[in-house]
Amino acid sequence: MNHLLDFSGGALIAALLIYSLSFVFFAIAVGGKKWSNREPAEHGRRWGWIAFGAALAGTAAHVTFFVTRWIAGGHIPTSNMYEFMTMLAMAVMLAFIVIYLIYRNILLGAFTLPLAVILIAYASVFPSEIQPLIPSLNSIWLRVHVTTAALGEAFFAVGFAAALVQLLRVVDFTRTDKAGRKARRWTEYTLVVIIIVIGFLVSVFSFRAAGYEADFQQTVVKTVNGQEQTYVQKVKYGLPPFVKPHNSETVSVKPFLGMEKPLFEAPSWMNGVNAGRKLNTIIWSLLSGLILYGILRLVARKQLGAVISPHLSDIDPEDLDEISYRAIAIGYPIFTLGALIFAMIWAQIAWSRFWGWDPKEVWALITWLFYTAYLHLRLSRGWQGSKSAWLAVIGFLVVLFTLIGVNLVIAGLHSYAGVS
Amino acid sequence: MISNTKCECGHQNHIGTVLCEACGKPLIELPDDGQMPAEMRYDGVARRSQKANPSWIDRIWNFFSSVKVAVWLIILTLIGASLGTIYPQEDTFINLDDPAAYYKQNYGNFGVIYHALGLSRTYQSWWFIGLLVMIGTSLVICSLDRVLPLYRALAKQQVRKHLQFLTRQQVVYAGAVPGDQNTWLDGFAKQLKKKRYRIWRDGDALLAEKNRFSRWGPYINHIGLIIFLLAVLGRGIPAWHMDQYISIDDGQTVPIPGTNFFVKNEKFTVEYYTDAELPPTLKGSVRPKMFNTKATLYQCTAACDDPTRDPVLERVKTHDIQVNHPLAYKGLKLYQYDFSEQLRLISVSPVIVNKKTGEQFGPFKLPMRNPALTYQVGPYTLELKDKFMDFGLDEQGRPMTKSRDPNAPAFVFLIKGPDLSAGGEPYIYFPKQNDKVKFGQDVLNRAVADKLDIRVNAMKDVSFSEYTTFLNVRVDKAMPFIWTGAAIFMIGVVIGFYWQHRRIWLRFDGGTLTLGAHTNKNNFGLRNEVAAALNRTGIDVPAKSLDNRRKTH
Ligand code: HEM
Repeated sequence: MNHLLDFSGGALIAALLIYSLSFVFFAIAVGGKKWSNREPAEHGRRWGWIAFGAALAGTAAHVTFFVTRWIAGGHIPTSNMYEFMTMLAMAVMLAFIVIYLIYRNILLGAFTLPLAVILIAYASVFPSEIQPLIPSLNSIWLRVHVTTAALGEAFFAVGFAAALVQLLRVVDFTRTDKAGRKARRWTEYTLVVIIIVIGFLVSVFSFRAAGYEADFQQTVVKTVNGQEQTYVQKVKYGLPPFVKPHNSETVSVKPFLGMEKPLFEAPSWMNGVNAGRKLNTIIWSLLSGLILYGILRLVARKQLGAVISPHLSDIDPEDLDEISYRAIAIGYPIFTLGALIFAMIWAQIAWSRFWGWDPKEVWALITWLFYTAYLHLRLSRGWQGSKSAWLAVIGFLVVLFTLIGVNLVIAGLHSYAGVS
Repeated sequence: MISNTKCECGHQNHIGTVLCEACGKPLIELPDDGQMPAEMRYDGVARRSQKANPSWIDRIWNFFSSVKVAVWLIILTLIGASLGTIYPQEDTFINLDDPAAYYKQNYGNFGVIYHALGLSRTYQSWWFIGLLVMIGTSLVICSLDRVLPLYRALAKQQVRKHLQFLTRQQVVYAGAVPGDQNTWLDGFAKQLKKKRYRIWRDGDALLAEKNRFSRWGPYINHIGLIIFLLAVLGRGIPAWHMDQYISIDDGQTVPIPGTNFFVKNEKFTVEYYTDAELPPTLKGSVRPKMFNTKATLYQCTAACDDPTRDPVLERVKTHDIQVNHPLAYKGLKLYQYDFSEQLRLISVSPVIVNKKTGEQFGPFKLPMRNPALTYQVGPYTLELKDKFMDFGLDEQGRPMTKSRDPNAPAFVFLIKGPDLSAGGEPYIYFPKQNDKVKFGQDVLNRAVADKLDIRVNAMKDVSFSEYTTFLNVRVDKAMPFIWTGAAIFMIGVVIGFYWQHRRIWLRFDGGTLTLGAHTNKNNFGLRNEVAAALNRTGIDVPAKSLDNRRKTH
């Protein structure tokens, strides 16, 4: 069994590498058109096919990972954060393949593949061991629900990627009036957010590779049934501590660049040791993301949007608008079925009620209502184009909050084990 | 604002019509240069909500039929729902005696505000339910408002359209055709037929249409939603809804309150993961793998409420109830909810020992629940006078039972037999050894205790329950409607999103072809289809150049 598990892990690394290659090929397809002595259309077509072929190969490796892990674990690998995020990345690739086959748009590849890579990298932050299921999670409906919902969300992700291209495409970097500057600023912010996510991944993996560790403990006194009980809660940081948990003692801190103890303490309203760790992670992500962004800006000497935008000129924004909308339109029924209807069937069987206003359920409903509003807004004039692209971007943020944020911030029935 | 609704083609239109219902000529000049693609929703046909002088009923109608209002309702619901996830809702706690204090203690001042605003009961609040009801109303009215005009627009379509109608579509081509006009038209029609278009012709004008049914998708999904929302409201009807919890020891049979069903817990089992099955970090931890209540459901056929007689039970179903596998029978559902590990006697089989002679009689089987009223054991007759399931003494020192659960069972018999007075003598029996000592059985029984003893000889004569299982009993008559609504919704969205209504009109004016095409979605697909048909009939145009939207910038 363990051999199979090793093989499975290898297949995922292979998928990750091939996706990265595919991204490079797509980037060449898009960016290389302006190279000298090349027929731009021919160049785009040829590299587009190579890149898409690589994307297919990567997806095949990814599916191999999924199937072998399923066999090794005895249950479908969707039951913790690591498994869910890798599965979501696979779903994004499947959705991408569908939309790519309809529209053959290389820009879509150039923006979707990094998304898949980021998702897999994010998954790897979580412990990857196979965990046995507790009874309520051992249900065929739960599996159907999770996979179908992920596929729906994957189409929303592709819609997001297309919307992002569209926004970068229509932003006019020569405009200096107020509206023009506003559009530029927001597009740039979106890129900064993505770079912060990358900054988070880079810092987590660098310090993990270096074996960094810091430990804290917190003593909590609780009154249970009139009796005072003392608990000691421990927490392990994987990143050097700028901030330690509220009211905690330092057990050990490996020095990092002369930093031997935390700089300050988490505020009192951040209860618990994990809140301190999460705050520290957020500070690290912001810091490393902004540094990364600063370096990129120094190299480019202009806004990143202005670097990317010129490469997008030979596609019509209307087509991007349609691709984004189509991806969402295809995803909407799948999402409804998976995230709401199958979820209700499972909840009815497992918890004896089809709906319980659990935070995760509510956020699935919010996601659905958001995309419903998007679809209705598009019925009226003036809500197509950039406005609807922004909605597609925000919609995907809502999806991400539902998948990740709810687990980080709000705990409920659905919270996965090992969430960091 | 619009007074003249008669079109130049002679058709008298309803007030509010944007494009002539017959020929499609724009009736309202748009403020821009008239080159924008036309407003094609309902083909420009008027709706009830577009009356010239609205009465107050019309105003309400207009309010609820507006998509803009619908979007606001949806957004408000979305924001309201998100507020409810900031802190746990009150109903997630099994028993919260003082919610205000709880929120204050755990979430400080924000908690106080949260509770005071009623956000700790967001989903039961009048405003949240009000929003859902308004969405429901809006769904009904907007569908009624639009479905007839849409039907009218689609049922009677004129083949020959006004030139302006064609040139203002999303996909437009204008130019000469190669060869004979009629031959080309036949060829073009044939190409479209291959793509499953239906063709109508009127002289040298043509209309090709496919997937008209997909236009009904939104109405079907809205009907599904209406059914769903009504079913959710229906769950408020008491007779439609039951939700209660029952606890059953191994081997025990209990009535399900409010029904004439009884359920027996034959045996509850719990299985844990072994260390070998656990990953390294979880080794040594207790992780349940499966809970199982082997349950039998009985229907009571007689003496159901008669306390003096045993109910007559008829077995209807035996099922292994597990999490995710409830027992279901005619709308009644039994779910595995929880369990507790608690040793409880089910029955004992004691013997009666004559202390003088040392003779033993019996054993006789004494179940804790529903024991017989008399037992004949050897020369002894036992009449059951009283029983206490959870023996204790009240303030005056009188025996009483603390609960109905057999935690400390005690039986009071009137015993007749050798050496005993003719009228019988009372005798209290504690089946559990530690109760016997704790409550001083021999002291209580006084002289009789010297004459006889009731005792259990071996463990095999005791049967006990290790676990108590907790089941959740549910009846939810609205569920079929919930699922029906959900299914209809899905059918509607699939029809509406995975097929698209496409129409192509064309006409000739002095030998020049003008073609316009429209779809409610997927302009890209329509464009390619038109371009392919044109290419195959000798008109070589790139698909992109047909897109009318592009010419506007
Ligand atoms: C949660 C509630 C709702 C959901 C999930 C929902 C869902 C949908 C969907 C999926 C479509 C198809 C969109 C498309 O084809 O692009 C649609 C269309 C539409 N909806 Fe809703 N809807 C809701 C509420 C409402 C309400 C309250 C109104 C009232 C004004 C409304 C009015 C419309 C209209 C006018 C259309 C277009 C119909 C057509 O194309 O002929 N919807 N709705």
